[in-house]
Amino acid sequence: MKRLLATIRKGSRTIQALLSLVLLLVLWWGTTAAGLINPLYLPSPQSVWSAFVEANSCRPQSPGSSRIICGEQQYFLWQHLVVSLERIGIGMLLAIIVGMLVGFLLAEVEWLNRIVLPYINFIRALPPLGYIGLLIVWFGIGDTTKIWLLFLAAFPPIVLATLEGIQGVNKDRANSALSLGASRFKAFLFVIFPSALPSIMNGIRLAVGFAWTTVVAAELNNGIPGIGALAYLSGTELNTSLTIACIFVIGIAALLLDGLIVLITKLVTPWVGKD
Amino acid sequence: MNANDMTWSELTEKQTMAAQGIAVDIRGVNKRYTTQENAEVTALHDINLQIKEHDFICVVGRSGCGKTTLLNMLAGFEKPSDGEIVAQGRKVDGPSPRRGVVFQKPPLYPWLTVRKNVEFGMRMQGVKPAERAQIAEHYLELVGLKDAAERRPYELSGGMQQRAQIARVLATDPDVILMDEPYGALDALTREHLQNELLRIWEEKKKTVFFITHSVDEAIFLATRVIVMSAHPGTIKMDIPINIPCNPDDPDNMEKMRAHPDFARLREQITTAIYEQDDQE
Repeated sequence: MKRLLATIRKGSRTIQALLSLVLLLVLWWGTTAAGLINPLYLPSPQSVWSAFVEANSCRPQSPGSSRIICGEQQYFLWQHLVVSLERIGIGMLLAIIVGMLVGFLLAEVEWLNRIVLPYINFIRALPPLGYIGLLIVWFGIGDTTKIWLLFLAAFPPIVLATLEGIQGVNKDRANSALSLGASRFKAFLFVIFPSALPSIMNGIRLAVGFAWTTVVAAELNNGIPGIGALAYLSGTELNTSLTIACIFVIGIAALLLDGLIVLITKLVTPWVGKD
Repeated sequence: MNANDMTWSELTEKQTMAAQGIAVDIRGVNKRYTTQENAEVTALHDINLQIKEHDFICVVGRSGCGKTTLLNMLAGFEKPSDGEIVAQGRKVDGPSPRRGVVFQKPPLYPWLTVRKNVEFGMRMQGVKPAERAQIAEHYLELVGLKDAAERRPYELSGGMQQRAQIARVLATDPDVILMDEPYGALDALTREHLQNELLRIWEEKKKTVFFITHSVDEAIFLATRVIVMSAHPGTIKMDIPINIPCNPDDPDNMEKMRAHPDFARLREQITTAIYEQDDQE
């Protein structure tokens, strides 16, 4: 026993992470197998797994029935996920383009900065679900509203990060470009923008996080297909196993999305932390 | 700078300055700042200085005497409150590759290799890639960075980074090189090495150098003229020509210069001039 503890303490991070996962599953399995909790509140790991598998496959409606149903709510679970990711993709793309352009503009034009920045801070301070009602009135309950919502959630952190990145560029660095013969525009493009890129990437990472939390919530209204909507609907139908399966999928997708942004950041700004 | 877009008076001025061998003419320059408490501070007062072609000017003075402010105005990063600075017949009103700047902390671009950093100025000015590569190669060799050309700036030591910056400035072929304590952060050995290297380049390329330093020894080693500035407000206190024989190819150059009878006298004279003002304050 002592030796086992020592192995864990000194073991690699991977071993410790795996152990944490195994521990959780064992604890979960133990409580449910012992019948300590009503499966309506906490179904067993096996039942969550089979809900996950069923949601991704076709099966007879009931044993022996000739009617075949596929997935959940007429879509496979992975299709729900893909639709949510598509919404994120479009919302983020718009937020990155507009956010960076607004950030550049506010960094260059000081008076505009003083006029516009308070509103951007205001939007950032609002929880997106606070204004979803207004967006539904304006744009209906379709995808337009959801994309607007994602855009509004993701765009302020990108504006602020761009602004901060540009204002934080080392003065000597900016001056050096001008005295090496760069025009103001070229100095911006070739020196100031890459200098601000680490900060911009940070802003994008924050924004993706906001967008993901927002998209799941935004799908509460007319969100099928959509992973957030599936998680919510299965809960209201007391299909707890499927709800938990959805929660795992949402969480893992969020972690992978974040990992992707971190990877892209490392690729486009390899110098960060080495300077 | 194209002669076609100069006014007649600028052209005349350019010819006059060229005839007199003047690279940069600083005429009655004052610089005032308004502090955050709305008080007015005079950083520089009535600066007049003619920098001759192929001068190696070293500026010494205590912190706050306006050395860097003067350099920033020569570079075109700041504008004088009164007076004017004229280079090549034309009033300085912004940065120009004619006046290269070597900063104390090399602002190399970490997303570019050392070679691309050296090529940067030429790329901005539209020099063709083949010519760019050839010139960059020459200057990388001149500063001894040929083998480090494909590395990133953050992979170099402080001394190598400073060399890379000097190569980058030289590659744009400036008439005047403005240097703000470029060797201040380096260890003594590297510093001495780079000082000799700079003298060699200055000889070979016939550049005009304006060099700020805290070290009186460094000033005497490098300069043909030492300018002593005093503070509050920043003024030029002394302008001393240096005539100690110098041979940067000789490995014992520094020792030989230090042993020269004039060295100690100049050192004494300059040091006294820098610290004299303590008595007045």
